[in-house]
Amino acid sequence: MLHPAPYETVLKPYGTALVELAMRRDDIVCLGADLTRQTETDLFRDRIPERFFNAGMAEANLMGMAAGLARSGLIPFVNTFGVFATRRPYDQVAMSIAYPDLPVRIVGFMPGLSSPGGPSHQAIDDVSLMRSLPNMTVIDIADAGEVSAVVELIVDLKGPVYLRLKRGEIPVIFDDSYSLNLNQVAVLKPEGELVIVASGMMLAPAARAVEVAAENGVDVALVYVPVIKPLDTLGIQEALAGRLGAITAENHSVIGGLGSAVAETLAEAGAGVPLRRVGVQDVYATAGSRPYLFREFGLSSQRLVEVVWELAGRRETVPVLAEVSEERPGVHEPV
Amino acid sequence: MNSSADLAQIPTRARINAVEMVGRLGLGYLGQVLSSAEILTALMGHYIRQGTDRFVLSPSHYVTAMYAVGIELGLLDREAVTAYGADGSDLETIGSERTPLADFTCGSLAQGLSVGIGYALANRLATNGARSVVFGSDGEMEEGQTWEAAMFAAHHQLTDLTLVIDCNDSQVDGPVSSVTTIEPVVDKWRAFGWHAIEVDGHDLDALIAALETQAAAPKVLVARTTATANLDTLEGLDDAHFIKIDTDLEGSLADELTGRL
Repeated sequence: MLHPAPYETVLKPYGTALVELAMRRDDIVCLGADLTRQTETDLFRDRIPERFFNAGMAEANLMGMAAGLARSGLIPFVNTFGVFATRRPYDQVAMSIAYPDLPVRIVGFMPGLSSPGGPSHQAIDDVSLMRSLPNMTVIDIADAGEVSAVVELIVDLKGPVYLRLKRGEIPVIFDDSYSLNLNQVAVLKPEGELVIVASGMMLAPAARAVEVAAENGVDVALVYVPVIKPLDTLGIQEALAGRLGAITAENHSVIGGLGSAVAETLAEAGAGVPLRRVGVQDVYATAGSRPYLFREFGLSSQRLVEVVWELAGRRETVPVLAEVSEERPGVHEPV
Repeated sequence: MNSSADLAQIPTRARINAVEMVGRLGLGYLGQVLSSAEILTALMGHYIRQGTDRFVLSPSHYVTAMYAVGIELGLLDREAVTAYGADGSDLETIGSERTPLADFTCGSLAQGLSVGIGYALANRLATNGARSVVFGSDGEMEEGQTWEAAMFAAHHQLTDLTLVIDCNDSQVDGPVSSVTTIEPVVDKWRAFGWHAIEVDGHDLDALIAALETQAAAPKVLVARTTATANLDTLEGLDDAHFIKIDTDLEGSLADELTGRL
């Protein structure tokens, strides 16, 4: 189901898919806030200018306008960086969109530490913020095929959606045997004494960590969670039951996102599976390249392997993974 | 579309309704009804075409006024007076998704104009000739979102968008003018590219004439009002935003208002 790393990449799958859908559906409108090329919606603007609205740097107004358009029967896709889609207009998203349960699709780009721009541009709390809003669906995906498919899958979903997406070059991680299902977690490798539960951009490092662990004699299962809310809690319980330990992996703060959601599920089920949350450890990051940030802030395959070794109670030396130091065009390598 | 002669007594009757509604609860948003009864009568009884146009009540604290006027226009049953604010009733004291008569309500202030712009954009795409009408309040001009929305609407020349601002100089902490300086309000809207009309917000004829004005830009009525509707009974009232009302005050207000009919 998974291609071997490093992965080929596809350029702008979201922007392409949105235009294709909007050419068939005249109820789709596209909104942005002075980040048109950066959110891949230059493609939409150039093809369907009459349904493209640029709010300028005014996210509160942006969200309110989307609400009015949605109440009028249209389906707005609102595109900006994740930080600006969530922190800045939180009250507007809550009161003008989530509370009236309107079909606004908010697309937040540059999730977690995928931005080199430092804390002002790194959405490390967007999942947490959006997950706590009633009616909101929260999706965190990272594979190019999924990104192409998700636009069609969410367009007619009831209520608002928050979709966090890496921008630009997106890796092809899954082969053709996989298709995105918004209702279920995907058990990519069922067997293992431990299990890694990954979402979004942590899928690739998780897959690498599982591979390295196997090479060094530790069998680790892999579960992928594309939808953080509503969470497939039964799927999580089934996939985690009886394991020696579980590790969540998210490109986000460990507070309020996947790790918290899995912890809540395990606790309520009385599962008693020891849990470790790999993610941003309640700190603000810095500027830097993606490989540097993922390594420095504990989002690497290396970090996952270290946690696997700790949870497995292995006393021997933790395997040391080769460093991925720089990004190359057309290729995505898990850090 | 009612004429102003048909509507002449509705603001006073609406205020009498509101005194009974708020009086039943002992406290509430009465000042908003006293200031806005003519504005909402002009909008709901004359300007807004039911079933065609879109109406956003941005400060949802004014929902009492909308109910009180709606009863007189036959849009709400008279039982609304007793259902208002009762546990389990849809007629909540701050407007919500359950609120009848408005297409959108915003308890968190200054969100309504943006939604009204969304309606105006959708109307334009559908070329349906519908109006988007937003009722706003002066205190909302303290919120930045108001000016984000103002800039956008003028840039896109949303001529079917109308905003009516109840400038009653009242907010939670007292007179708006004592909290911060929002004046010159008319100049601000003009500077943002709007067609601004200053009007006596207690003059029904003037309000209707201003609403009928054709403009090449989005239109804003800066409606000057008082939160006491110049009632002798409330002279010297220092908090018009949220009025405590006992049986004596309720009786005096009802008497004075009835005398105006």
